[in-house]
Amino acid sequence: MNVTEFREGVRAWLATRDLSPGPDHSLQGQVAQLARLRRALYDAGWMRYGWPEEVGGLGGPAVLRAVLGEEITTRGLAEPGVYSLVEVLAPAMISYARPSLAAEMVPLLLSGREQWCQGFSEPGSGSDLASLTTRAVPVKGDGEEGMGRRAGAGEWVVSGQKVWTSLAQYAARCVLLTRTAPGHGGITAFFVDMDSPGITVRPLRAMHGVDEFAEVFFDDVVVPDDRMLGRPGEGWKVATDLLPYERSTCFWHRIAYLYTRLDRLLAEAADPDESALGAAYLALHTIRCRSQATQRRLAEGGPLGPETSIDKVLLATAEQRLYDTARDLLPGVIELTESPWRPEYLYSRAATIYGGTAEIQRNIIARRLVHLGKE
Amino acid sequence: MDSDERALLAETFRKTMTAASGQVLDLALAQLGWPDLLAEVPGVAIPMVFGLLGETGAQAPLLNDVLLNAAGRRAGGTLPLPYTGGSWVVWERTDRPGTVLDGDLPLHGIPELPVPGAHVPAGSVAADHVPDGEPVGLAAGRRALGWWLTGTSRAMLGLARSHVLDRRQFGRSLASFQAVRHRLAETLVAIEGAEAALLAADGDLGSLLAKAAAGQAALTAARHSQQVLGGIGFTAEHALHRHIKRVLVLDGLLGSTQDLIRAAGAQLRKEGSAPRLVQL
Repeated sequence: MNVTEFREGVRAWLATRDLSPGPDHSLQGQVAQLARLRRALYDAGWMRYGWPEEVGGLGGPAVLRAVLGEEITTRGLAEPGVYSLVEVLAPAMISYARPSLAAEMVPLLLSGREQWCQGFSEPGSGSDLASLTTRAVPVKGDGEEGMGRRAGAGEWVVSGQKVWTSLAQYAARCVLLTRTAPGHGGITAFFVDMDSPGITVRPLRAMHGVDEFAEVFFDDVVVPDDRMLGRPGEGWKVATDLLPYERSTCFWHRIAYLYTRLDRLLAEAADPDESALGAAYLALHTIRCRSQATQRRLAEGGPLGPETSIDKVLLATAEQRLYDTARDLLPGVIELTESPWRPEYLYSRAATIYGGTAEIQRNIIARRLVHLGKE
Repeated sequence: MDSDERALLAETFRKTMTAASGQVLDLALAQLGWPDLLAEVPGVAIPMVFGLLGETGAQAPLLNDVLLNAAGRRAGGTLPLPYTGGSWVVWERTDRPGTVLDGDLPLHGIPELPVPGAHVPAGSVAADHVPDGEPVGLAAGRRALGWWLTGTSRAMLGLARSHVLDRRQFGRSLASFQAVRHRLAETLVAIEGAEAALLAADGDLGSLLAKAAAGQAALTAARHSQQVLGGIGFTAEHALHRHIKRVLVLDGLLGSTQDLIRAAGAQLRKEGSAPRLVQL
């Protein structure tokens, strides 16, 4: 199926169904809506395109996932942040999990039966992710006692803390990075059941009033060896292999969403400042053009490395400009009323922080693309 | 034209532009087949030739050709070009100096025209069968200027990069200071964004946005490159000032960055929504 056929098929299908969110706009309501939406899209096949057949997909290029997400976010059927999470979870399973584990688990995610989370960042390891300290220790010999839980040979015991873990309180599984040896080559990834004894989730209230993120504590959590993703020491590669998807498909979804916000601003702006509106549009148009080129390169099998840091800077800049413009052209709305502009404006402040800060991106660009050598 | 042929052609143009500028370059490019290339493959000719004008710092009155070609006419001759602030200029095919900021450019002001858009006047060399004052679409000209501006931006970034790698202060290379690195990173982001917009540009709005993005990138490149070059970049002995002056003059041609951004905003308000110009 080509992109045009797929897009037209999705549009025709969506036109005959009401999948719009209900009145509950809480995070719990959003998560329930996401599950309902995924289930419907999966059962109709749309959610399965762009994923390999071995994990319940229907094949086809990954760009179909970007097209589907654009249609979904453009119609306001799901928030792009939670909708795009599969892009930073499923590819790790497909590339690194045992084939039978991937075949069993990925359909649960795609079909909305389960939510999963990504356990990467730690309190001491934000931008410097490779410094993470959550330990995974192999059990030797006949096994040992830990916190009253018996771990056997062929199992690992995980201890430590994660933070900024989106939707952890709703997640059934976690793609987790742990330390098994020093350095970049000492990071190992696991696929962990969130109902394992020893896991505690504490939601974090963010400044926009939503508990989107959580802290996750691991106290001697026993994880079977066959839940390792890749081999010991391949965890850094598991994490970095996700970047091309995060910075192509996920970005396209968010760009599509931001266009709907610019449309809303055009409808609501009290102050028709054409220069400000034009500048916000130019920034969005620029990242849309850049992202289209990036996805073309991805589709052609080209490597997506440090170049995607440019996409990241352009997107974060465009997002903050759009919401700054909204605040300027809707005077008092964010401060005095409980309109959706308030949480969205506040959330946009994080755009230059999450997913690698604006400073880290500029460091990468200076070193790898402008070729300025080491700092 | 395959990629080898394209590379060979670009190399020929680059050599020519390194050796000559102005009227001599105009004649040399005509002999190298620029008018035919423009007529046959404008999508290849415009990014290549205008990008190289920027990178090499050479100049030639080729914008006339792009606009004439877009109007279905043969390259050669001149036509009145709108300039920001409501002015009109002619880019002469001479080396006659004028009063513009970039003294190398033979741009000369003319009395104001009543209708917006570039015009092909009756009796001009290239347009002898054209009725009086026929308006010409500006989109192709804006794309050409966009490639010129991003080419100049890359030239400025190159000068700044060499300088910060060579120069040492406080016992360290300038390139090792994060404040300097981030300015140059920001410059590359702006250039690459503008080039993406140029590559995707086809219609009127896309070309307008692409030139605005290129103008923004060029002004960003000028500001950051000049800052990291320090004192030397303020002298007339260093090459930077030529690029900066060229950027300032080219930005105003066929609408400045500010004009075009405002025009885009006006179009959005009129349509009531933001056009999604590129699709996957």
